[in-house]
Order: sequence, then structure tokens, then C-alpha cells
Amino acid sequence: MSRLNDVGGLTGFGPIEREPDEPLFHSEWEARVFALNRLLMARGLYNLDEFRDAVERIDPARYYGLSYYERWFEGIRTLVIERGIVPPETAA
Amino acid sequence: MTYGVGDLVRTSGRDPAHHYRVPRYLRAKRGRIEAVHAAFPLADARAAGDPAPPLETLYTVAFDGGEVWPEGAEPNTVYHAELWESYLLPAAELP
Repeated sequence: MSRLNDVGGLTGFGPIEREPDEPLFHSEWEARVFALNRLLMARGLYNLDEFRDAVERIDPARYYGLSYYERWFEGIRTLVIERGIVPPETAA
Repeated sequence: MTYGVGDLVRTSGRDPAHHYRVPRYLRAKRGRIEAVHAAFPLADARAAGDPAPPLETLYTVAFDGGEVWPEGAEPNTVYHAELWESYLLPAAELP
């Protein structure tokens, strides 16, 4: 099962858009998602490979419509629910 | 450690149903061992929550551009990838 993140070398997605002077984050919530992920890994809630796996398990019908940090957020949400840190109804 | 610098290898063509770090464009391709690194915990097992993931030698493997992208590789392109031992087979062996 090749996962939907594995698009390297595939054609059909159009050219890669290059953004001059691209900022590290395009809005503050992206920085918060980045920080949250680092914190949860540093606390040992999950490791980097489990995080990547969680991102790769996003519903294929939604995956390509999500931005980079939206995918990160989805991965974090999946993991905190699966580990019982946050009840599913709270994480919705 | 099975392979040494200069050994010819091929990547596995398998497509496992879990986190796996051989991208599709590098599967069943021929390459050459360029560097032998230490043993690292296998990402496949770590991603599955294995508390004691197997330690496997990591290699830098060099691929000719034309092997990876038969149509359209720029001349003299060499592509390097870091791959775990279980992702590799001796070059002569079929997947």
C-alpha cells in the first residue's frame, strides 16, 4: 500500500510554486502547531515516526485538500485521541 | 552490516501496508553503496509503536539519475538516499 503522501516524482500536480522570501510560517496558528508537535514529542507522547505515520493515515478524500500544517494538526489530533490524552469529542 | 562501500545493490520493490521509507520512485532500482553508517532503530517499527525497534545498519546509496527517472533525468545526475539494510538486496538478486 503506497501511501498518499508518497508523491515524489509524480507528474500531474502542476509546477511547484516557489515563494520569494517565504516566511517560516504563514500565520500564527502554524507556529503553534509546530511548537505543539515539538513539545508532545519532547514529552515522549509519541515519536517522529509515529507522527509521520499518523499524517499518512489521514483520510485520502481529505488529504490533498489540506495545507501542510493542517496535515500536522490532523496527525497530532489523531495521536492525542488514540493515546487517550484528549477525548474525541473535545478534539473535534 | 552486509554491504560495503562500492557494493552494487537494488532496492526492494515491496509495498508494505505501513510507514516505510523507500519512496515509490526508488523501488526496485539499482544503486551503489556510497557510505556505511551506524545502526539505527528501524523507522517502520518505531512508527508502529514497537518499544524495542530492531537496529539496522543505515547506508547512503547512490543511484544514477537515469535509473531513477528513465525519462528526463538531467545528464550526470546522481541521487543519494539513506536506506536501511532491510530495504536492500544484492544487485543480482530479484525482489
